[in-house]
Amino acid sequence: MESPLHHFEVHNIIPIHIAGLDLSINNAVVAMWVGLAVIAGSFMLVVSRGVSPIPGKLQSILEIALEFIRSMVYEFIGEEEGKKYVPFIASLFLFILACNLIGLIPGSYTITSQLVVTGAFAMGIFILTLVIGFGKHGAHFFGILVPPGVPKIMIPLMVPIEIISMLARPISLAVRLFANMTAGHTVLAVLFGLAMTGPLWLGWLPFGFTIVINGLEIAIAFIQAYIFTTLTCVYIGDVIKLH
Amino acid sequence: MPQFEQVSVFGSLIFWSVLSFGLLFFILKKFAFPPILEALEMREKKIRTDMEDSEKLKGDAQQIKRELEETLKAAHGKAETIVQLAHDEAKKAREKSLQETEAKVQQMHKDAEQEVLSSRNKLLQEIRSYTAALTIASTEKFLKKVLGEEDKKRLVEESIEQVIQELEKRQN
Repeated sequence: MESPLHHFEVHNIIPIHIAGLDLSINNAVVAMWVGLAVIAGSFMLVVSRGVSPIPGKLQSILEIALEFIRSMVYEFIGEEEGKKYVPFIASLFLFILACNLIGLIPGSYTITSQLVVTGAFAMGIFILTLVIGFGKHGAHFFGILVPPGVPKIMIPLMVPIEIISMLARPISLAVRLFANMTAGHTVLAVLFGLAMTGPLWLGWLPFGFTIVINGLEIAIAFIQAYIFTTLTCVYIGDVIKLH
Repeated sequence: MPQFEQVSVFGSLIFWSVLSFGLLFFILKKFAFPPILEALEMREKKIRTDMEDSEKLKGDAQQIKRELEETLKAAHGKAETIVQLAHDEAKKAREKSLQETEAKVQQMHKDAEQEVLSSRNKLLQEIRSYTAALTIASTEKFLKKVLGEEDKKRLVEESIEQVIQELEKRQN
């Protein structure tokens, strides 16, 4: 039986080496591009047709997605401040969702099951929150390390805790998405491997489970994209409001 | 796990994913989101305006309804007053007509009585004159002499009295 982790292996398709850096296009990148092409294509199709006041099916779906993200941003960041972050958060949600969902197609790849990718995004968001915080509050931004209502005597203890808490944010953000995607795909690979290797009278059972888990994975793909973007909104909201 | 073992692909994965996200963000922000978000906002605004308008129209309609009900109520009151007035007028006219008719009937009755009385007196007068003449003639013939004025008068009076009594007796 093939290793259930085998399908996490990345294979270069077009080797590209620039200044000693390996920037080869691999199966993970291609799968990601397919997912992103579907997302961008859907939006461009609706826009090129002209956004109708009475939406069609595709426009309705995209509007629901955007409306959902916009209300989420307004809830955590506030309507006034949140308006300018809607495109970024919406793009992030759609990017993660597309990467999560495209990986469910057999033979495809989930780039969000790569910790370096989720880590890069989580780190990028962490740096972005710091930029927003310092840009908005200047040196007062350090006030985020002291929760409101904390007695002065507790400040020396609270500041390191808050620093650890702040640093844990990108780690938890990255690991959560990576772990969920990896775990889901591993379970699917294990069940499918059992179905394929077992005798027919027994093989239908793990195969049935594969279908159930696949349905669950679709839900998880949405939930994880939602959690990632919600937490991003929370972090941005925190640095804007300073608690 | 391959995710931790294939270190050589980390650079390419990070590079292409970040670049792809940047490109997706640019395309969506530049071309896709503005018209869709604008359409959403316009629809929201339109729905809000329509709802406010409908609320206003509802208020107006209720006001008109109230006014109409008041007008209707006033018209009902007026109609009732008119009907009452007409009823009273009709009653008055009927009573007046009845009184006039009664007066006329009474007058007619009185006239008729008067006429009957006059006819009766005339008749009695005629009877009296015929009876007098007849009585005198009969008595003169019977006695074969001419009666004096005194006797004539007494005899006529007695005869007339007797005839009248006889007539009244028959009438009864």
